[in-house]
Amino acid sequence: MAESMPSRAPRRTDKTPPAPAIQVAEKPVNVLVVGVGGQGVIMVSKVLATLCQRQGYQVKQSEVHGMAKRGGSVFSHVRFGETVYSPTIPLGEADVLVALEWAEGLRWLSYLKPETGIFIADTQQIVPPFACRNRQHGAGSGYARETVADVIAQVANCYAINAGQIAQELGNSKAGNTMLLGMMSTTLDFPADDWREAIRMFAPPKAIDINMQAFERGRDWVETHDPADLDPNQGGDQPAPIVEVMHEAEFELPVINRAWCKRCDICVKFCPERCLSLDEEQIAVLHAPEKCTLCRICERLCPDFAIDLKYKH
Amino acid sequence: MSEADKQFNIHDYLREYLFPHFLCPGCGHGIALRALLWAIDELDIDKDRLAFVSGIGCSGRLGAYIDANTFHVTHGRPLAFATGLKLARPDLEVIVITGDGDCLAIGGNHLIHACRRNLNITCMMLNNEVYGMTGGQVSPTTSDDRFTTTTPYGNHEPVFDACALAEAAGAGLVGREITLQTPSLKDVLKQGLAHPGFSFIEVMSDCTEVFGRKNDLGSSAEMVLTQKASVRPDFLENAVDQPFRPHQIKTGILASNDRPEYAESYRNHIDAMKRDHGHA
Repeated sequence: MAESMPSRAPRRTDKTPPAPAIQVAEKPVNVLVVGVGGQGVIMVSKVLATLCQRQGYQVKQSEVHGMAKRGGSVFSHVRFGETVYSPTIPLGEADVLVALEWAEGLRWLSYLKPETGIFIADTQQIVPPFACRNRQHGAGSGYARETVADVIAQVANCYAINAGQIAQELGNSKAGNTMLLGMMSTTLDFPADDWREAIRMFAPPKAIDINMQAFERGRDWVETHDPADLDPNQGGDQPAPIVEVMHEAEFELPVINRAWCKRCDICVKFCPERCLSLDEEQIAVLHAPEKCTLCRICERLCPDFAIDLKYKH
Repeated sequence: MSEADKQFNIHDYLREYLFPHFLCPGCGHGIALRALLWAIDELDIDKDRLAFVSGIGCSGRLGAYIDANTFHVTHGRPLAFATGLKLARPDLEVIVITGDGDCLAIGGNHLIHACRRNLNITCMMLNNEVYGMTGGQVSPTTSDDRFTTTTPYGNHEPVFDACALAEAAGAGLVGREITLQTPSLKDVLKQGLAHPGFSFIEVMSDCTEVFGRKNDLGSSAEMVLTQKASVRPDFLENAVDQPFRPHQIKTGILASNDRPEYAESYRNHIDAMKRDHGHA
């Protein structure tokens, strides 16, 4: 497909120029933007769509932001070319995959063209609640285990950087998406000033400066980067950050008053961690104290005042 | 969680020598009692100023377990006693603990007049749909087709909506909550206690041993979960009624008004009369 596109982007080894910019041909160019609700997936696709329209191409864009409440999976298909019929990108047909979050990028990897696809990813991790089933201190999460090294082996071109962190150093972690736009701007053959103009249209007035800086950082990074310098250990399943949970420090484990317990089973049924059970005398016992998160639900729902979590102070 | 919340210790408010209490396993009344004491603790009311008045029935016994001034009175009359108490001692925080039979059947008359007078009393009505202590007879709030000892073929009397009654009779604040939502129940009770007029709070409790057993409603955990499934909180007030779930329980603060409080206006009136007649 797309004869004018390079059959296989040369893997950069030394200080060779970055992967040649994609040329728009009869077949439309497909860009898939994915991320987590609140990161700016829609903003990136709007910038791109507006830019392409201004360059005189027909653009079709379709998105799913049903989970746009912060934390849900969001994606946006942008297709542009002389004539575009379908608004969605088929499996294995995306020329560029822009992932604002690492696991979301992995989720959509199969949409990338196997030979020529360009994968631009932010390696920052937003661990979804379902991957946090173990709520203990320092416990590993069920987050994707694939590292940057694994992805490099699978895609033709991989640009992976912790853009969220760099944007935070610039002053606003939300500008991470503009940094990825900067990286993407080197892969599409449009003048850099047109990109800046399009970003100005969509960035909030207060944040234009920071977005411009992030855009330049993204461009510079691609100009100077060497695939061998990619940190192969980025991404992957890192242990959840240790957060000081308030009541873990302030309450003691539940103590059950055996004389008052009436074996009603409410605490056992409503314990979210299932660490309570009935013993041979049918009285509630804390059989798995290590699982207890001190949520105090058993204390509040015990009709017999038989469970107490002592406040330490 | 506030600091006061963390330091709240229920045992400061209980007469521990009477424990374990007499309620059946899984009875929701214990949870309601905890929520009430939690609300009182958050409002930081002095125990010497607290006066609990309770009637007869499972709910009536709750007063005995509270370490404060408690008053256990005749069946259906806690509101009448509380009215006298509040008029004589306006400095007291009068709280009435009553049940559905106690408050709506035997004491229905007293309820409407207490609402009408709008004295600063908080009335917590525990609704478990049955007369549990006396053996499981039908009560004004027993739902349709439920079996009790006096309705062996199922109940066909329409259900009394206590909150609608209290609102129509002029209660200053009307609220309802289920026991499973203990923090929300505490908040509703707290608003009731803080309201300057008559507050009527209906707590949807569960009677597992008598009502649940007779109607095969499962364990208390299952009963409260069923109850939770039929709740429609007040912040969903504008939502469309769901067509296939007609038996929805509206919860939260259902009505409030700022009519004058009776004890205060009564005293002002007496003072005015005394001035007019030269006795002041």
